[in-house]
Amino acid sequence: MFRTRTPAALLVCTSVWLGGCATGTGHADRDRVLHEYREAAAFLQAARFAEAKPLLDDALLSLGGLTAGVDSARKARGYFHSESSKGFRGEPYERVMAYYYRGLLYWMDGEPDNARACFRNAQFQDADAEEGKYQADYALLDYLDGYVTAKLGGDGSDALRRARAVARLASLPDYDRNANVLVFFDMGRGPSKYAAGEYHEQLRFLPGHSAPTAVNLRVAGLSVRSGPADDLTFQATTRGGRQMDYVLANKAVFKGTTDAFGNAAIVSGAVLAAGGSHRHSAADEVGAGLLVAGVLAKIVSAATTPSADVRMWDNLPNYIGFTALRVPPGEQRLTADFIDPAGRVVFTREVNFTVVPGGRDTVLYLSDRH
Amino acid sequence: MYQRSVIAPIVALAAAAVLSAGCASSGVKNPSGTGVTVLNADEQGFVAGTGVESQDIVSVTDKMARSILARPQIQNAQGTPRVVLLPLENNTRFAVNKDLLLTRMRARLNSQTQGKVLFLARDRMAALEKEQQLKQSGQLTSNGDPNVVAFQGADFFLTGSLDGSSTRNARGVSDYILYTFRLIDARTSGIVWEDMAEIKKQGLEDAAYR
Repeated sequence: MFRTRTPAALLVCTSVWLGGCATGTGHADRDRVLHEYREAAAFLQAARFAEAKPLLDDALLSLGGLTAGVDSARKARGYFHSESSKGFRGEPYERVMAYYYRGLLYWMDGEPDNARACFRNAQFQDADAEEGKYQADYALLDYLDGYVTAKLGGDGSDALRRARAVARLASLPDYDRNANVLVFFDMGRGPSKYAAGEYHEQLRFLPGHSAPTAVNLRVAGLSVRSGPADDLTFQATTRGGRQMDYVLANKAVFKGTTDAFGNAAIVSGAVLAAGGSHRHSAADEVGAGLLVAGVLAKIVSAATTPSADVRMWDNLPNYIGFTALRVPPGEQRLTADFIDPAGRVVFTREVNFTVVPGGRDTVLYLSDRH
Repeated sequence: MYQRSVIAPIVALAAAAVLSAGCASSGVKNPSGTGVTVLNADEQGFVAGTGVESQDIVSVTDKMARSILARPQIQNAQGTPRVVLLPLENNTRFAVNKDLLLTRMRARLNSQTQGKVLFLARDRMAALEKEQQLKQSGQLTSNGDPNVVAFQGADFFLTGSLDGSSTRNARGVSDYILYTFRLIDARTSGIVWEDMAEIKKQGLEDAAYR
């Protein structure tokens, strides 16, 4: 009787515990920001800027609120919910890009001070990297912060100094307050996430890549070559450890310990039960108890989910860059050749736009995504 | 005896597991939703960050409106001072709808001064000029001579700025925002009134996001 009922009871227990429930996942809600990020980037790459804005605005509303006391975050720290059960906000480099993109859209709309707010907030997302030298080290964000300040009649020299101090990829030119066409450009595919470790509890990054490493801009008789200012792979991989990594490491230890205990208990129980010479002997009882405890420990171990959250904003570039041009008023056509280190043109993009005399800055966004 | 002693704990454990696993809606906070909660605009809601929020806008603009009304230039003005709003400058890390602050101040002043101050709708000049052109061309009727410019000049400009200082480290996020407003004499460029409000907020993200 025992042999038939016990597995059934355990199966019920296991299926209920592990299976979760019909509405327990909440995929749509917890991935909402992720979808907004991806769609916004796709709209930007397709030059459908008006459609990207509300998506970024909604995502940034989520980023702007503090997560203290949020139920999904609390559960993500628990043993029996994976990290990906929390509402997605992204790693700092992803959050940086959300603010960066919204900033360039504000500038496009003639709101340079709100653009600057976004660039500052983007830099702020990176301010708590583990090592000081990697904190707030996006050269482009400081550069743009100072550029807007200079454009608004202020002194952007501090920000320019900071930008130059952390610039790794390109030398940053002095601000041209009279430049009227501001070109933001993206290149390549950004870093991707994967989980390492025995229980996939360690968040790791695969480097992104980019065939083009510079862009050659031709407009109104001008020809300007510009390189990227920041590298998202570098940013993603220099953050250091997260607090959540310690939580996941603890979960992994718990999972391993309960699994090992389960194995030991099952084996010991089986030996005792098999070795008992009489039915209903004490050895039988202890053996059965150990078997049950072992199976329960295995269930607990199986239910423990230390895996790292590898959801990612997967249409980000690897490089971001910016250049400012002086272009005469009127209808203009800009040709952007994305070129590789050998000087070959990898991709060409053309943009038609109008420069209004004495009007606000014309902001262009170019991507090498087809 | 044997069956009772072993199976009973197992059943109890299974029941405990079922209970601990929760009901069908575990994992969903407020599965049936939250009813509409009406809050005063000066209250902090349950959705909060360290940025500019409605309660800040209300408290800051109320304070500024009171401060302006107490000025002798307004209290003892001969005639009605004409004021034009100039956009605020945002120097914080938060993108904000800057018009919201000035619009609320204007509405507050208009409702409390009962005509003591006249705000000029410079933000609607394009529409106003078009209207005047249509009157001048005879396409629209006019109560006065449409060729006489009646757009009024400003006696004062009301403007201001938001400045901020932010800190972020392992112990949390802290944001200080300084709101300053100025009334500038349009004739002399003198600042006839200035006041400020400051708000500091801090918080710590859940460890799942750190």
